[in-house]
Amino acid sequence: MTTLLDIQDLHARVQDKDILKGLNLTVNAGTVHAIMGPNGAGKSTLSKVLAGAADYEVTGGRVLLAGKDLLALNPEARAAAGVFMGFQYPVEIPGVSNMMFLKAAVNAQRKQRGEPELEAADFLAWVRHRVKQMKMDPAMLSRGVNEGFSGGEKKRNEILQMLVLEPKLMVLDETDSGLDIDALRIVAEGINAMRSPERATVLVTHYQRLLDYVQPDHVHVLAGGRIIKSGGPELARELEEKGYGWLQAA
Amino acid sequence: MRAPTSYQAAFAQFAQGLPAAERALREQAFASFAAAGFPDDSAERWHYTDLNKLAPQNVQLPATLGAPALDELLLPGCESRVWLNGRAQQAAAGGEMPSGAGDALVQLNRAFALPGLQLQLAAGEQRAQPLHALLLTQAQAPGEMHHLAHRIALARGSRATVLLHSAGLPGAASFSSHQLDLDLAEQAQLTLICLQQEGEQAAQLLQTRARIGRDAQLRLINLDFGGQLIRKDWQLQLAEAGAQLEVHGLFAAQQRVHLDNQYEVEHAAPHTSSRQLLRGLGSGRSKSILNDRVLVRPGAFKTDSEQRLANLILERGAEINAKPELEIYADDVKCAHGNSCGQLDERAVFYLRSRGVPEAQARALLTYSFADAVLAQLPIAALRLRLAQTLTRQLGAELDFEDLT
Repeated sequence: MTTLLDIQDLHARVQDKDILKGLNLTVNAGTVHAIMGPNGAGKSTLSKVLAGAADYEVTGGRVLLAGKDLLALNPEARAAAGVFMGFQYPVEIPGVSNMMFLKAAVNAQRKQRGEPELEAADFLAWVRHRVKQMKMDPAMLSRGVNEGFSGGEKKRNEILQMLVLEPKLMVLDETDSGLDIDALRIVAEGINAMRSPERATVLVTHYQRLLDYVQPDHVHVLAGGRIIKSGGPELARELEEKGYGWLQAA
Repeated sequence: MRAPTSYQAAFAQFAQGLPAAERALREQAFASFAAAGFPDDSAERWHYTDLNKLAPQNVQLPATLGAPALDELLLPGCESRVWLNGRAQQAAAGGEMPSGAGDALVQLNRAFALPGLQLQLAAGEQRAQPLHALLLTQAQAPGEMHHLAHRIALARGSRATVLLHSAGLPGAASFSSHQLDLDLAEQAQLTLICLQQEGEQAAQLLQTRARIGRDAQLRLINLDFGGQLIRKDWQLQLAEAGAQLEVHGLFAAQQRVHLDNQYEVEHAAPHTSSRQLLRGLGSGRSKSILNDRVLVRPGAFKTDSEQRLANLILERGAEINAKPELEIYADDVKCAHGNSCGQLDERAVFYLRSRGVPEAQARALLTYSFADAVLAQLPIAALRLRLAQTLTRQLGAELDFEDLT
């Protein structure tokens, strides 16, 4: 199997506070990894560092995406290279319609990759199909990005963007938080629809719940800025039963 | 400060050949202006704007010009009337010459003003098509000036949408002044879009007085995108019970523009309401002033007013002075106000970049998003689209707005 994401001894800080302290993780194409862990372990920091947020400073280590130095790229170039981060708290952009936003994003990525812009009509059909898949109202396309959306709608919109952008590496930061059971199922179906031998997913999550719908191949426990335990899907159930205390104490 | 001799010379030239009665009125106005001169910063409402830089200019009356190409400026679905350098390009409806009291700028305008937009609607008359008054400036020589007097009077129950649009074509430095009188009788409804797209070397003074009658409604959308020295005064009076006012304002000041908007909303009668949403963008080394005063007169009980000011400083070096003011002399009123000045939300910039949108374009999109709260109020779709494009071009990005409308 080819390695899609290779994180080596990653150290990162935010506002002079060290959060990641030597994190190692290898994600092969075609796999789904779940990263679980207690509050403050560094889960969100890991997602943001991968996406390139400016307020997170990498102080050591390497991150390779398909063998290339990911950390050398700015956020938009990472997106064009195939990284997608699903936000825990998606931002509202009133006045910029979802359709305008999706088109700007797709065409900006294509331009960076040296591909031609999409035809407007084809693109609309393409997007509509995916809106349906996420069981969203097509009228949302002409509304402002996340404008007045509920927490659940925002998360669905994240997955919609993911379906439209077709990234290689999906990093979903607490995408399951704030979802009711129906929305959780729809979101999970969206994630599953993107599973393919060329792609990989990293699910950052607090709870076992999402993993009932999206079967991970690997489960990791992140605590104190490092992966302290890795295992198969059974590890998630064990964590759900016992919590994290027994691992941190060990 | 006294008016300089170049104004005297221009006036002497202008007054030649006027009928005696009109000439007397104009001479009176000019004498008042000359005695008072341009206002200086000793008065508070002139604290930021010094018009004395207009005084030493060697002003002159504009040369007559052939009509320029207008296709890019006109709007589909609108009836248009055009003024070029202050001269009507169609048979002009002669307005009555205003007279009486007024400050030096009023008097300066009265001394020189030709009739601008004169719109009078009869009781119950409804104008289906928006009226586009295009006020073009194309100065042939530095210091060319023109002055226009506009009046919109809506009789009982009549309705109109008017776009008062000043635009500069490439040319020399110019100076124009505009007096705008608005009179809304009972139940009249006026939507007035005041769009300023003057050239980079243009000075413009606009003074507006509005009287809003019983149960009448004025919706004002005031947009500033150009100019060099712009000063606009808005005296908006809710004169009778049930009068309503809505103001949406947006300015985009760039380079070295000096832009001063002074709003004064006067609640002079009970059960009147005013809603103001004023937004501004400052970039380059521009200086913008936004003063928004709401005055509730004694007896204007049940006044309901709201002032929402929000501004974005897009570049270090730009300056925005925004201030809501509130004076209340009546009981049982509801007056809300808020004012903010800040930068783009960096979380939102990152959100867009994480989707592949380059940083400059992300900033342009978010700035547009901020401005759209005002642009979305435009009742003319083609104008909203055009201004969205103008704004994003000013912001240095190309965005696809085909899904906007």
